[in-house]
Amino acid sequence: MVKSVIDPVTRIEGHLRVECEVENGVITDAWVSGTLFRGMETIMQGRDPSDAYFISQRICGVCPISHGHASSMSAESALGVDFPGGARLVRNLIEAAEFLHSHILWFYTLAALDYVNPAKALEADIAATYDLAQAAGTSTANFAAVQSRIKTLVEGGDLSIFTNGYLDHPGYPEDMPAELHLIAVAHYLEALEVQAEAAQIIALMGGKFPHFMTSIPGGTAWVPTVEKLDDVLFRFKRVHDWIYSTMIPDTLAIAPFYKDALTYGGGHGNFLAWGVFDSASRELPDRYLPSGAVFTSKGLSVEEADEGKILEYVDHTWLNGDGKALHPSEGKTVPPQAFTGYDPKTEYSWAKAPRYDGAAMEVGPLARMVVAYLKGVAPVKTLIDTALEALGAAGKPEVLVSLLGRIAARNLEAAVIADWSLEWVTELIETIKSGEKLEFHKPLKEKNGKGAGLWEAPRGALGHWMNVSGGKIANYQVCTPSTWDLSPRDADGIRGPMEEALIGVPVIDPERPIEAGRIARSFDP
Amino acid sequence: MAQKDLGFYDQLEARGVTRRDFLKFCGTMTAILGLSEGMAPAIASAVEGAAGSSLFPAVWMDGGLCTGCTESVAQVTKPDIATILLDILSLNYMETISMSQGEHAEEALHETATHNEGKFVLVYEGSVMTGLDGNLLRVAEKTSLESLKEIGSKAAAIIAVGSCAVDGGWVRSVPSVKADGYPQEPEAWATGVSQYLASQNINTPVINLPCCPVNPEWVVAMIIDAVMLGGIDADGKVTAAFASKLDEEGRPKSIYGQTIHDNCPRRGHFENGEFVYKFGSPEEAAGYCLYPVGCKGPQTKTNCPVVRWNDKASWCVESGAPCIGCGNFNWVDENAPFLGRFRNIGLGMKKPVNPAAAATVVGGVAVAALAAHGFGMKAAGRIGAGAPMEKMKDWDRKHGASKKGGDK
Repeated sequence: MVKSVIDPVTRIEGHLRVECEVENGVITDAWVSGTLFRGMETIMQGRDPSDAYFISQRICGVCPISHGHASSMSAESALGVDFPGGARLVRNLIEAAEFLHSHILWFYTLAALDYVNPAKALEADIAATYDLAQAAGTSTANFAAVQSRIKTLVEGGDLSIFTNGYLDHPGYPEDMPAELHLIAVAHYLEALEVQAEAAQIIALMGGKFPHFMTSIPGGTAWVPTVEKLDDVLFRFKRVHDWIYSTMIPDTLAIAPFYKDALTYGGGHGNFLAWGVFDSASRELPDRYLPSGAVFTSKGLSVEEADEGKILEYVDHTWLNGDGKALHPSEGKTVPPQAFTGYDPKTEYSWAKAPRYDGAAMEVGPLARMVVAYLKGVAPVKTLIDTALEALGAAGKPEVLVSLLGRIAARNLEAAVIADWSLEWVTELIETIKSGEKLEFHKPLKEKNGKGAGLWEAPRGALGHWMNVSGGKIANYQVCTPSTWDLSPRDADGIRGPMEEALIGVPVIDPERPIEAGRIARSFDP
Repeated sequence: MAQKDLGFYDQLEARGVTRRDFLKFCGTMTAILGLSEGMAPAIASAVEGAAGSSLFPAVWMDGGLCTGCTESVAQVTKPDIATILLDILSLNYMETISMSQGEHAEEALHETATHNEGKFVLVYEGSVMTGLDGNLLRVAEKTSLESLKEIGSKAAAIIAVGSCAVDGGWVRSVPSVKADGYPQEPEAWATGVSQYLASQNINTPVINLPCCPVNPEWVVAMIIDAVMLGGIDADGKVTAAFASKLDEEGRPKSIYGQTIHDNCPRRGHFENGEFVYKFGSPEEAAGYCLYPVGCKGPQTKTNCPVVRWNDKASWCVESGAPCIGCGNFNWVDENAPFLGRFRNIGLGMKKPVNPAAAATVVGGVAVAALAAHGFGMKAAGRIGAGAPMEKMKDWDRKHGASKKGGDK
């Protein structure tokens, strides 16, 4: 048995350590540690309920939109306001832009280098690269310019962001052609522009990205006009077209070289989604991507999600607790008086361990896609069935519970949301043109109440719980997607979803565990 | 077959950035750097020259962060972030982007600092987590304080990006109720880079770029000024000329010298007494002034209305939201409640001051005029019915606003 550690896990948002035990080339145990504690929930206490919208976005600079929305919804639910119809359409659009931005950024900027090697791109033949791009149905770029740029970098000796990368790692499949590496590196650079374009949509509607300004409790401060929406539609179209012309074909071109990743990395197989993109009813099961809970060990069926079933454990964290697991509406976040040191046997993370009905649940695009697939959401079903066929697993959705399934789910979700985004902008433009009066904001009136904002960030189920007393926040708790996915063990020793997903993963070189990095990043932590 | 000889502009155009786009960008840079527009070609040739020569070593360290400033910097489009990362800087360590991971990433950080001692730039994002002896953030089995001390003492200069790195940002704010496990004094929990290094007697120059997040064009402007226009000389020393462009808080005067209110496109509505009193209203749609719904533009010093955000797509006030003052020091505690109108008008100082007192102390015509604007529009006869404003004025008076300064 050897120890294999990644600290820090790079190409993620925030700070993470992953420690594994490897036996005979396979991971047999794992500990995932969140190594930063800031104390957002406590800082919120005693403040104006509306302030939480602005402050809580600063939990995550990649998904501030989702935190803002969950926070506003928690204030609205606590203080008895239904945000009006116009605001629903605007919020869905801003959220969609963030999902597209985030998924593009994840696949190319964060995850791609685990699968694609810039050093191999140097061996590509340019003419053959164009041929391959055409055959794969993916977009072309100035491949010669990209190759020359990487070559200049390598020959200059300063590798910049590629410094100390595993450029000679045997984990990159030998049969994956150099030309495909070059195509992916070209799109890795192009993706930087496309993610920026998606972020500009948020800026148009929310002032700036990251950390937007307009989805304040009660609705939105952004009042759309047909002219403003033209700018939004133009950019959504460009992002949409790029996802279909580049990101999806790239995914399908690279996936066959990593087919073994359909056989590991799945983890517990428990999935939870609160759902995202409100329909007119505002009910969680009616959302475009609906809520639901799935326990694949009990079969491929979906049950309604119930937030009352959550308990958060702190036994293996550095946080103080009196040994009792709490529901977030009554939750506490108490840092210790002194740091007791990292020890996988006792305390090893700042992240709490939330459990749903006692189970560790994976959240994220895979959870949403599994729930939507099982609930029969038409565009999701069509896309997933097509992808399963392309991977030679037609009629076997259970293979999605794997590393490759998690990656595919995220990219397919981007395609579904890109389609919807165009429909939603058009719907809003038509509504405004029809002269129908849309309402965008209602002020908060009540001074006391308890509420929850259940929503989804790109990386998974997100909940904000707010108790208000005398017009001030009396308690504030957040259960982020990373709290679910990166959770440490609970009181019963049940591993968190990422810890469990690491079990059984083959590792060629424990000194350079690129495979463990792939699993960690597949959750988009 | 690689084409080794593709020039800088060919490379840019291969990525959809035209020469014209790029020169326009250089024009913006002159504005941010406080240079005359005639300097744009000099900036263009400096960037072009830097792109053709050896890369300037840099590392980017993450403190107690949300990654929002990294995200923000990734939104630069002309030159795009790839140009900065591949053609100008050799960014050998950046947790969010680096290909390497774990101990190999850590090794790249320390090797860069050792091999280029006194000659590299450190960009620091996030709060300096001082609580629990630095154990609130551990990276590579060390506290982040140990790493900041070691790398920070070797850098030629440090760019503290975002309010968290400047003074602890929201993380240093304190719950207004007593909370278990939290220290009463905020610096015991989180602070900024310059304050922490000073406490350790490390005197590496720090350029402070507060805002939440940092505006990417400010970061690029500082890299251009420090790296390409010689702000850091060949010996790794910050020149006197460069230092003179910073205010006493280490902020570039050209960026932080004026209030948002000074440059706000809605200023005309303010002058005319045309205000938004209700979100989502027709006044909101018409783009009236957001002062009554809490805009902190008058006491926030950044050039947001000029540089704007996300490739100039928009900025906070243009989208219909009041400025929340995230470019101010200790911005959460000083500016909340964000949607409440601020009765005190700060002067970009650490502590906001009562407007009447400020007028007396500073004797500034501008301050008095501003106070008069906020509280005396009725007197100027520009507000129609004026009822909501009257109520607010009553409230202001109760809370210490003087009747002087035009408020009759």
